[in-house]
Amino acid sequence: MRSLSKLTAILAGLLLSQLASAQSQPPQRWVSAGGALTEWVVALGGESHLVGIDTTSQHPESIKSLPSIGYQRQLSSEGILSLRPNILVGTEEMGPPTVLGQLRSAGVKVEVLSASADMTALQGNLQKLGALLGDEPRARELSEHYAKQLDTQHNWVAQAQQYQPAPGVILLVSHAGAAPMVAGVGTVGDWLIKQAGGRNLATHTGYKIFSAEAMTGLNADVLVFTDRAQNGASSREALLRENPLLASTQAARDSRLIELDPTLLVGGLGPRLPDAMKTLSKAFYPATTTLNAKVSPAQ
Amino acid sequence: MRAIVQPRTLFTLLSLACALAVWLSLALGPVSLPLLDTLRAGLRLLGVPLAGDDVQQAELILGQIRVPRTLLGLAVGAVLALSGVAMQGLFRNPLADPGLVGVSSGAALGAAVAIVAGASLGGLPPALEPYLLSICAFAGGLTVTGIVYRLGRRDGQTSVGIMLLAGVAMTALAGSIIGLFTYLADDAALRTLTFWNLGTLNGASYVRLWPLLLVCAAVIFWLPRRATALNALLLGESEARHLGIEVEKLKRELILCIALGVGAAVAAAGLIGFVGLIVPHLIRLVAGPDHRVVLPASALAGASLLLFADVFARMVLAPAELPIGIVTAFIGAPFFLFLLVRGRT
Repeated sequence: MRSLSKLTAILAGLLLSQLASAQSQPPQRWVSAGGALTEWVVALGGESHLVGIDTTSQHPESIKSLPSIGYQRQLSSEGILSLRPNILVGTEEMGPPTVLGQLRSAGVKVEVLSASADMTALQGNLQKLGALLGDEPRARELSEHYAKQLDTQHNWVAQAQQYQPAPGVILLVSHAGAAPMVAGVGTVGDWLIKQAGGRNLATHTGYKIFSAEAMTGLNADVLVFTDRAQNGASSREALLRENPLLASTQAARDSRLIELDPTLLVGGLGPRLPDAMKTLSKAFYPATTTLNAKVSPAQ
Repeated sequence: MRAIVQPRTLFTLLSLACALAVWLSLALGPVSLPLLDTLRAGLRLLGVPLAGDDVQQAELILGQIRVPRTLLGLAVGAVLALSGVAMQGLFRNPLADPGLVGVSSGAALGAAVAIVAGASLGGLPPALEPYLLSICAFAGGLTVTGIVYRLGRRDGQTSVGIMLLAGVAMTALAGSIIGLFTYLADDAALRTLTFWNLGTLNGASYVRLWPLLLVCAAVIFWLPRRATALNALLLGESEARHLGIEVEKLKRELILCIALGVGAAVAAAGLIGFVGLIVPHLIRLVAGPDHRVVLPASALAGASLLLFADVFARMVLAPAELPIGIVTAFIGAPFFLFLLVRGRT
């Protein structure tokens, strides 16, 4: 009996302390629509605020248990309201506009950030997210760190290019069985190739389906392809099996086929890109093993 | 086919079903509102001066989201079903659906142009985007139907057979142009297009609702008045002419009605399949072929079916949402197969 009352007291104490902390710091409920943005919210320490994410938010693993609000262009006003959010962050790809209007009139703060693949956009996004999460120093720190990683990367690429010319690269985004799409100008894929020191051989804008012949005609030195399943060698074989013409390209003959996680390419520049860049640039400049010992790419 | 259900019983049942659907559509959603709050918010929206600062949230959800959505569902469902009856009467073929005269593919083409061209122009002002999409879809539907109708005319006569073939050809042509736009589209526009083709009642707003409601009201008012003429047409064109029906005028009016009604419905909610096909069948199965019963009953049944499907679409994956075209086709296709198999034996 005594232990029971003790337990009650402890529980009551816990409850009170919970209430107190809830009062001193009003909880912000966040819904995030956009893969890279969600990752940044988590990186800025906002994971505990997240109450919902869209289908493009796949990282980190721990957020996958959150309720999904569906595809970012096809949001449902009442569905989002049922999560009782204070704020919805997303990119300009969010929609439809009437739904955003309805959310605003329901008192949800709708923050539209940029999805473009450049540093200015990223710095703006980080600044805004930092201010909203109340941790601007951390945002500044992340932003500076990102810029520094890019600088180191540029230096490394510049040095590497003294030993070896920039390889011609194409990036294929493929869904199993379907014709692969080639990443062109303005995509995150294009940005990634350039930062890693490659020349993107595709000159169109956005993602486009190429014929096998056109893809082969570009005769890339390195072929980067997205691989949803992340199972390396077998997916490489599958790609060549489905597009046999690719086997005759320089990249295939030199076995320079590199797989890439497709979730890296969604929703602007994300925090995992510098690592991916590092891996890519090592594959782009295999001759620089001696250089690797002196200056390792993007720390 | 004889009536299994007396018209009076049928109308009572359908009115009840429709009332139930409206109630569910207003009362159910991902945000669970207490019944009492919904009622109070509803009364306040109707202008009853009730005190209630605590129901502001309910009032907003009811007034801004669920009411326009319900109205949209009612109008779209009723018009699609009515157009289905008109098509099947006009073509004297139970397989005819409103898409056959090219109105759906024309609207889809209009939408593809708006989405893809809009995106490649660097994006239209977001405020204008939904209207442009609706206007293009509506215009596309009317244009293609107009062409199909013109092709079917010969020596002052409209040949239903030629119209049918012209409709198939125009649908194929529109399909290929849509394919071209799909190819030109960037990834984002592609996704938008895909979702548009599946239809949704999500994001209904009053501004977009009024034009549709006007067109729907006109169609709902006008089509049932042609019930007797459609009954006469069931006997065949020359028989209808002998009975004193102006067949050419009737055809023209029916096509116009279908083009306007389906065009407006598709423009507001995207492509929603199978309502126009299965609802008239369902009604004819239970009530017989008399258009005086089939027309109003189909309108009621179509509206109810679409609302039930929408409640399902918004609840099943909450807080995300299923496109309603998936739900209606999921119910519609098996039912249609059932009809086919049953008709053969």
